[in-house]
Amino acid sequence: MSFLKLYFRSPPAIIGLVLLILVLAMAATADWFYPRDPLALAGRPLIWPFSNPRFLLGTDNSGRDIAAQIFHGARISLLIGLVATVISVFIGITIGALAGYYGEWVDTALMRVTEAFQTLPNFILLLVLVAVFGSTITTVTVAIGIVSWPASARLTRAEFLSLRNREFVQAGRTLGLRDAKLIFGEILPNALPPVIVYASVVMAIAILLESALAFLKLSDPNVASWGNLIGAGRDVLRVQWYVSAIPGVAILVTVLAVSLVGQGLNDALNPRLKGR
Amino acid sequence: MDMTRRAALLTSAAIASSVAFPMRTFAQQTPRKGGVFTVHYGAEQRQLNPSLQASTGVYIIGGKIQEQLVDLDAAGNPVGVLATSWEATPDGKTITFKLRDGVKWHDGKPFTSADVQFTAMEMWKKILNYGTTLQLFLTAVDTPDPLTAVFRYERPMPLGLLLRALPDLGYVSPRHLYEGKGDIRQNPVNLAPIGTGPFKFVAYERGQHVIADRNADYWRPNAPYLDRIVWRVVTDRAAAAAQMEAGQIHYSPFSGLTISDSARLSKDPRFIVSTKGNEGNARTNTVEFNFRRKELADIRVRRAIAHALDIPFFIENFLGDFAKPGTGPVPSVSTDFYPADNGPQYPFDKKLAAKLLDEAGFKAGAGGTRFSLRLLPAPWGEDITLFATFIQQSLADVGIKVEVVRTDGGGFLKQVYDDHAFDLATGWHQYRNDPAVSTTVWYRSGQPKGAPWTNQWDWTNPAMDKIIDDAATEVDVAKRKALYGDFVRLANTEIPIWTPIEQIFLTAISAKARNHSNTPRWGSSSWHDLWLAE
Repeated sequence: MSFLKLYFRSPPAIIGLVLLILVLAMAATADWFYPRDPLALAGRPLIWPFSNPRFLLGTDNSGRDIAAQIFHGARISLLIGLVATVISVFIGITIGALAGYYGEWVDTALMRVTEAFQTLPNFILLLVLVAVFGSTITTVTVAIGIVSWPASARLTRAEFLSLRNREFVQAGRTLGLRDAKLIFGEILPNALPPVIVYASVVMAIAILLESALAFLKLSDPNVASWGNLIGAGRDVLRVQWYVSAIPGVAILVTVLAVSLVGQGLNDALNPRLKGR
Repeated sequence: MDMTRRAALLTSAAIASSVAFPMRTFAQQTPRKGGVFTVHYGAEQRQLNPSLQASTGVYIIGGKIQEQLVDLDAAGNPVGVLATSWEATPDGKTITFKLRDGVKWHDGKPFTSADVQFTAMEMWKKILNYGTTLQLFLTAVDTPDPLTAVFRYERPMPLGLLLRALPDLGYVSPRHLYEGKGDIRQNPVNLAPIGTGPFKFVAYERGQHVIADRNADYWRPNAPYLDRIVWRVVTDRAAAAAQMEAGQIHYSPFSGLTISDSARLSKDPRFIVSTKGNEGNARTNTVEFNFRRKELADIRVRRAIAHALDIPFFIENFLGDFAKPGTGPVPSVSTDFYPADNGPQYPFDKKLAAKLLDEAGFKAGAGGTRFSLRLLPAPWGEDITLFATFIQQSLADVGIKVEVVRTDGGGFLKQVYDDHAFDLATGWHQYRNDPAVSTTVWYRSGQPKGAPWTNQWDWTNPAMDKIIDDAATEVDVAKRKALYGDFVRLANTEIPIWTPIEQIFLTAISAKARNHSNTPRWGSSSWHDLWLAE
C-alpha cells in the first residue's frame, strides 16, 4: 500500500502509467477496432490523415491503413520490448549473480566477457546478428535481447558484491544452505529492485532498436511494426511526411511511458529517497 | 485543402514554362562551351569498363569514356561510332566492319582493328554478360588491315541482331593495356578506364565521386562542349532529390529518384522529368516462379496467381503515369519485334483465380489458407518493393500466404539464380532492343547455374528451345519477327515467368541541359553533344 502511495506521489509517474495503459489498451483492442489484416491493401495509397473518414490516420505508400498498423503495431512493439527485455535481463542476472557471488576468477572471466560485449557498439552487433540469422521477428527479438544484457549484468554483480557478505547471507551459509539456494532464494530478491527499474530502460531501448532496424529496412517485413511503417515512409518523407511521423509519435509515446514508469518505480523503491 | 491549391499553382506554372521553353530552346541554339555537368550515381559497380559488364550502372560512366562500334541514332537506327560501315555475306556467317580512321586512345596510341579483335574474342565472348550468349558462335575476328575487322561465325548471325546488340555489347577496350597483363577482370584499368570517347577519366573516389574531363583530341570536330562531368555517389534517393533542388546535381538517370519525388520535381519548372531518352532501356516487372515447388509447377496455379493481381489498379495507384500493363516478354516500345498477337492475357479475376486453385487441388485449409510461398523482391527499385507488397496483399485474398524475404543485391542474385532458394521472385527484366540479346535467356533451358537473369526456374520446354534457337540464327528479318511472335505467345501460354508491367526508366534533368535525351539510350550514350545553358 505504501508503495502505491509513494508511486502516485510523483506526477510524471502517473502520466507515464496513463500513457502505458493507453498503449496497452491499443494493443488489446486492435482486433476489435481493426479486425482485418493490418498489412492488407485497404485503399488508395497516400491518403492524408483526416481527409477520409474510413482512414482516420490516412494510408501509407502501400495502401495500408495507418491507424490499423498503429494499433496492431502496439502489440508487436510491446512484444518485442517485453521478450527482448526478459532475455536480456535473464542473461544479465545469471552472469551478474555468478560473477558477484563467487568473485575471484569466475568474476574476472565473466566480467571480461561482459566488457568485450560492451566495447562493441550494440547496434552494429545487432546488424551483424540480423544479417547472419535473417530478419524474422523471432531472430530480431532474440538478437535485441542478446545485445543488451551487459549493463544489467554489471548492475546485478554490483548488488551481489555488496550483499554477499551481509549477515543474513552469512547466517544462511552457517545453516548449510546450498549456493543455488543462497543466490536465487536469498540474495537475488534483495538485489532485484534496481534491476527491475533498469529493465524499463532496456525495454525502451529494445523498442528503439527494432525501429532503427526497420528504418534501415532490416526488420521483418511480414509484421505490422511501427518501425516498418517509418521505414516505408522514408521514401515519401518530403511530401507525405505523416507516414513516418505518426508511428514516430507512437514510438515516442511508448518509450516515454516506459521510461516514466521506470523512473517512478525507482523513486518509489529507492529507500534513500523516502520521506523527501 | 491548401495543399491542392498549391499543387494547382505549381502545375499551372509548369504548363506556362513548358509553353515558354520550346521557344527559348529553339531560339538560342548556339551551343555554349564549358561547364561542369553533375550526375546522380546511385549504385556503385565493381568496375567501370563497359566491355566487361553490360549494365546501365556501368554505361552511365564508362559510356562517356569508351566508345562502341555502333550506337543508336535519334530514330533508334544503328549509326556508326568507331565503325563507319558494315556488311554481311548472304549466308550470315561473315560480317565485315570498316573502322574509323585517325581515332586515338586517351593515352595517345592509335585505335586499330587489333583492339576490336582482342575485345571481341577475350571480353565480349568470354566475360561480358549477354555477350557470352550473343557471341557464342563467334570463331574468329580477322584483321586484314588496321581499319578492317572481319567477324567469322560458325552459325549465321543476323546482321540486324548484331547491330541492335552492339550499342550495348560493342564497347571496345585498348588491347595494349590488357593483353599479357594477367586476369582481365582484375586489371586496374577497369577502375581507371582508357577509351576513345569524348571524356577522359580523371579520378574515382569510392563512395564519393567519379570525375572525367573534356578530351581535347576527340575525333568528332568541336566536341564535346562540357569541360567536365562529375558523378556524385548518392545512395539515398530522397537525398539525391534534395541535391537536385539545391542545384548540386543536374541529372538523375534510370529512375534514380523516388516515385513521389519524381512527381514533385515534374511540377517544378527548373527540371524536366520524362521517359524520353530511355526508350532503348524498357523494362518489365517480373513474377518468377520456381518449378521445384509442386504447386508452382502446376500451370493452373501460375495462371491463378496472374489472375489474382489487379495490375491496372496497382499501376494507377502506385506507379502513376510512368508505367503501363505489360503484354508479354517483348515490350510494346520494341517496334521491330512487338507482335500483333501476344497470345493469352490474364485480366484481374479473383473468382477465376480461386476456381483454378480449387481445380488444381489446393483447397483452402484452416483460416482460408491454401499454401504458403516465399517471395524474394530484388532490392534495386522502389517499384519492386511496392509490387512485392502488392503481390503479398493480393494473394492473401485468394488464400495464398506470402512471406516477403528481404535481401541485399548480392544475396538476391545468389538465392534466386544460384541456390534456387525461392518460391516466387520479383524484379526487372531489361529489354535491350532485340529479344536474343536480353530476353530469350530467361526462357531457354540449359543456362549455367548461377547466371543472373536467366532461366533458373527448372522449366524446360523443347518447343520453346527450338523457337529460340531458330530465331537466333534466322537471317531473314520477317521470319525472325514471326518466330519471336511465336516465342511471345508460347511464353504467355506457359508463363514460366510473368511480365505484367511495362515501364520505361524515368530521367530527371535540369532544364539548363541542352541536347539531352535525344537518343533511345541517351543516359548510356557518350554525351558528345550535351551542353549547359547559362
